[in-house]
Amino acid sequence: MSSRLEAEHLYKVFGRRPDDAVERLRQGADREELRADGTTAAVVDASFTVEPGQIFVVMGLSGSGKSTLLRMLNGLLEPTAGQVRFDGQDLTALADRELRAVRARKISMVFQHFALFPHRSVLENAAYGLAVQGVPRAEREQRAGEALALCGLAGWEKSWPDELSGGMQQRVGLARALATDADLLLMDESFSALDPLIRRDMQDQLLQLQQTLKKTIVFITHDLNEAMRLGDRIAVMRDGRIVQTGTAEDILLRPANDYVASFIQDVDRTRVLTASAVMDTDVRGDEADCGCESDCEAATPDTPFTELCAISARTGHPVAVLDAREKLVGVVPAQRLVAFLGNEEAAHA
Amino acid sequence: MPRIPLGDWVNSTVDWLLGHVSWLFDFFKAVFTGTYDGINAVLQAPQPLLLAGIFAVLAFWLRGTLAAVLTFVGFAFIDSLELWDDAMITLALVLVATVIALVISVPVGIWAARSDRVSGLVRPVLDFMQTLPAMIYLIPAILFFGTGASAGIVATLIFALAPGVRMTELGIRQVDKELVEAAEAFGTSPRDTLLRVQLPLALPTVMAGVNQVIMLGLSMAAIAGMVGTGGLGGDVNEAIGQLNVGLGSEAGVAIVILAIYLDRMTGALGTQVSPLGRRAAAKARATQGLKIWSYRPRPQIAVIGVVILGLVAGGMGMFGGGSDGTAPVAGAENVGQGKKVTIGYVPWDDGVASTFLWKEILEERGFQVDAKQFDAGPLYTSVAAGNVDFMTGAWLPTTHEQYWKKYGSKLDDLGAWYADTSLELSVPSYMKGIDSLDDLKGKASDFGGKITGIESSAGEMALLKSKVLGDYGLDKEYQVVDSSTPAMLAELKRAYSQKDPIVVTLWSPHWAYNDYSLKKLKDPKGAWGKGDGIHTVSRKGFAAQNPVVGKWLKNFRMSEKQLTGLEAGINKAGKGKQQDAVRTWLKQNPGLVDKLAPVQRSTTAAEAKRPVNVAWFPWDEDIAVTYLWKNVLERRGYKLNLKQMDVGPVYTGLASGDLDVNFDAWLPYAQKNYWDKSKDRLKDLGTWYRPTSLEVAVPSYVKGVKSYEDLKGKAGTFGGKIIGIEPGTGEMNLLKTKVLPGYGLDKEYKVVDGSTPAMLAELKRAYAKKEPVAVVLWSPHWAYSRYDLTKLKDDKKLFGQGNTIRTISNGKFPQQYPQLTKWIKNFRMSEAELGSLEAEINKRGQGHEEEAVAAWVKEHPDVVGRMTPQ
Repeated sequence: MSSRLEAEHLYKVFGRRPDDAVERLRQGADREELRADGTTAAVVDASFTVEPGQIFVVMGLSGSGKSTLLRMLNGLLEPTAGQVRFDGQDLTALADRELRAVRARKISMVFQHFALFPHRSVLENAAYGLAVQGVPRAEREQRAGEALALCGLAGWEKSWPDELSGGMQQRVGLARALATDADLLLMDESFSALDPLIRRDMQDQLLQLQQTLKKTIVFITHDLNEAMRLGDRIAVMRDGRIVQTGTAEDILLRPANDYVASFIQDVDRTRVLTASAVMDTDVRGDEADCGCESDCEAATPDTPFTELCAISARTGHPVAVLDAREKLVGVVPAQRLVAFLGNEEAAHA
Repeated sequence: MPRIPLGDWVNSTVDWLLGHVSWLFDFFKAVFTGTYDGINAVLQAPQPLLLAGIFAVLAFWLRGTLAAVLTFVGFAFIDSLELWDDAMITLALVLVATVIALVISVPVGIWAARSDRVSGLVRPVLDFMQTLPAMIYLIPAILFFGTGASAGIVATLIFALAPGVRMTELGIRQVDKELVEAAEAFGTSPRDTLLRVQLPLALPTVMAGVNQVIMLGLSMAAIAGMVGTGGLGGDVNEAIGQLNVGLGSEAGVAIVILAIYLDRMTGALGTQVSPLGRRAAAKARATQGLKIWSYRPRPQIAVIGVVILGLVAGGMGMFGGGSDGTAPVAGAENVGQGKKVTIGYVPWDDGVASTFLWKEILEERGFQVDAKQFDAGPLYTSVAAGNVDFMTGAWLPTTHEQYWKKYGSKLDDLGAWYADTSLELSVPSYMKGIDSLDDLKGKASDFGGKITGIESSAGEMALLKSKVLGDYGLDKEYQVVDSSTPAMLAELKRAYSQKDPIVVTLWSPHWAYNDYSLKKLKDPKGAWGKGDGIHTVSRKGFAAQNPVVGKWLKNFRMSEKQLTGLEAGINKAGKGKQQDAVRTWLKQNPGLVDKLAPVQRSTTAAEAKRPVNVAWFPWDEDIAVTYLWKNVLERRGYKLNLKQMDVGPVYTGLASGDLDVNFDAWLPYAQKNYWDKSKDRLKDLGTWYRPTSLEVAVPSYVKGVKSYEDLKGKAGTFGGKIIGIEPGTGEMNLLKTKVLPGYGLDKEYKVVDGSTPAMLAELKRAYAKKEPVAVVLWSPHWAYSRYDLTKLKDDKKLFGQGNTIRTISNGKFPQQYPQLTKWIKNFRMSEAELGSLEAEINKRGQGHEEEAVAAWVKEHPDVVGRMTPQ
């Protein structure tokens, strides 16, 4: 069973006298002030919890500190201050050797540019983590083969990384990470380097794998659409700080500040929103009494926005939203749909 | 701007290093020469074509059929140029330098790749090493490592190290950061990250570095020819010295063949060892299809091929080399033929000294000697029983009287080798007024009433207490302090150093007399009695069975000075090093071994055993005289190692003692700068040829220029230039500071600094086109026989009275080679002789000097007797 990952007040400062810098940050100093002194605060006071089996997406523009944050989670970078707890262990307190053992067995990582070893075959790449663990050759090749098959690469074992397309290379990267049976999967912009179509495929495959594997996953991206699609919970980072943590809808409907709001402007809401987010819950009970024939189309709270539009178009009047017990929980008038497509302020007005 | 004395600092640093850490350089030298000798022996052993075959198989494996064929042809070509041995020397040099360079540079490169600080530190050092002109460290390399392979290897190393370090660092730093991070993210340890990820991926770059190291090593090996490393570099150097473009290009082509071979092979090896390279090569082959020219055998087949050829070569080398395997002791000197002799000794100074002296002498004469230490009683017993062959420390007739009485009938007394032993009291010579035992009277307060004695059990102590003190009436006044011999000696040393009064119990011979200035107190009353003689005593019949050794022992004599000197040396060396001390002492007393253990010998003198290192310049007169001496001395059993070098290195090598002798010193003017620099450590063995002259010469087709005065106003004709040789040489200095100003030419003419080969090349060029040219030259010089030149007349005698050609040696040479020194000092050669010899050598051509000299000597039968009278 997967375990809970907790990060508490993580700081990472590069440059001279990092501890002083952390102290100043705690007292409310600004990143810009520190930069004047030649120190860079990459991550400032980041705290979050990832429940077992969740996909936690950290989203932010480049330079927002998300990659640094990710590397503190498996100890590739040592936090200047704060703690990382995983599986009941405080990773920040471990010695190098113990930390390496944790990385070898419990945490694996998928990289933006795949980071496949060009001097090893696909199978050897997938088996790399197991080789580090010291698993005997026969067993590790078998397990690596299974992981490759899981990622849809059966039959490519003998090939070399440079013979594969980008998407296939990243599948090898994914297989390498899965082969070790680590509970925690860190994915650093793993799909950013892929074509949009392949990226979508990979996202689908990840979600599909997650249904059976139930790993705890921290996924870094700068693409809000990807974040919304994959994340059970999303953290938005800006200038080293986490400015908002919440579900996709939280972020979309209740942005914590102007930055997040501006960030989500271009998001294709239709792919994220469902009827429950759009509907008018202030129902008197007669809205659905449309005068149609007995059985006109209705939506459920989970109905995606796009389908809602289709229903609305067919019915020609506000769409009723019924819960599992066929009870009316809200209605969606057409103009409300239009308003959501336009901007949020209008929707709330 | 104050003058910063950087040069002085460097000089004193070099001196300091020479004085204080020479052991370190000796260690490196041993490592370098050891490795070099090993590799060279391997490369020289097989037949040339066989080794060429081995190289070809390697090429076959690494690059395919075509490469193999070309390799074989290339190496066969080197063999046909008669440059095989030299090529292998160069190859060995480069291989050793490469291996050592890699052993150093790869770890340093890895280190530099992992630490920016190290990288920042290493980089300027590498820049320094790579750009510092080679000549600057070639000369110190001789000072530290001597001429020959090790100096060459060091120079090559300094030059070739940099790319190894740089490319290793670059290769590792170039490895994709994400890959290293990936390895770390999966928990790889730093060591495994290096070994499994960074190094394999950096390998192509590292191999490119190896390739660079080898190429730079090769180019440096050519330059190192100047310091006597020999090989192709030596050939090039020689050819340049004689302006022999033909030979130069032959050697050059051989170097190029070696370079191409090594370059292609390391390149191919680079692809073979790196996994990526192997894949790329396999891919290329797959697209190309199987072709006979690029067919490569599998590694196993190649290895088998190399092993078979190697075994054949090794076998032939063994049979071929069997004949010249030299026994450690040669010919007539090998009296012992490995026979075993056991010497017994009592650990008294005289016994130890004489025993180890004989051990060394007998070993030099081919005996196997066992020296065993005994107490006096057991020693006599052992000799009587025949377990020990002889002892040299028998104090007879008094001290060992009881033993002699007991065993005398089973022993042979071979006579006393030291007659004047005595027992005595001694005082330091600074004790004025105390010369005899009588003088001690009433002086007890000076000495604190003490006589420093030795072991109370010693016979001398008993005699002193019971008889001597009584006889002189000293027994009331003085107290004899019982102690031990070492304590007595320590006390003596302490008192002596502080000039305190002391009187000690001593005996002669003793090394203390050698180390301190002591007075033996006279014994006018004869209270000590008559001294023993130190005898050599052998088991019964030993002399009869070993007549030669018997005779040596019977004739064995040593003076007190010799014995105490040897004892002091042994004492200083300490226990376990007695024989080393004997060797050192024998070296300081040359000829002693032959005196003590004379052998019938043809004409070979003892000094001939050590090969003579002769340095020579590739100038006609020196080639002639050097090969003449080689021919003559080899008839006398000497072995000469000829090392061809440039002038500077020769003087440096002689001064450091690494070279023994050079026959071509132009003194006192032409090589004045070199001579002055190290004359304290050199010996001038006299002139063998005169007269010589320094001059400016012009081709005879330049009309109207016969003397320096004639040069005046003709600057236009000569372009205002006089073509000079190496700046800083005596002749150039003379020309610039005295001759030109003296004739008022210094405003008009500029002396072009260059080198002898460059001057000769310019002369040749101008001569061919009949252009006017003025060159700095000297006589005798082959240029005068090849071109029609006018020596400008020096009416004011500003070039001085002319040099003579002399033989110079290192400082130790006259002691090491007394006979040879005498011969050389008496050696003269006439102009006709030198001329005819040079002509003969020129006629036969390079590489045939020895035949030429042999032919010439046949026509001059008196020369051998005249040079080396018996």
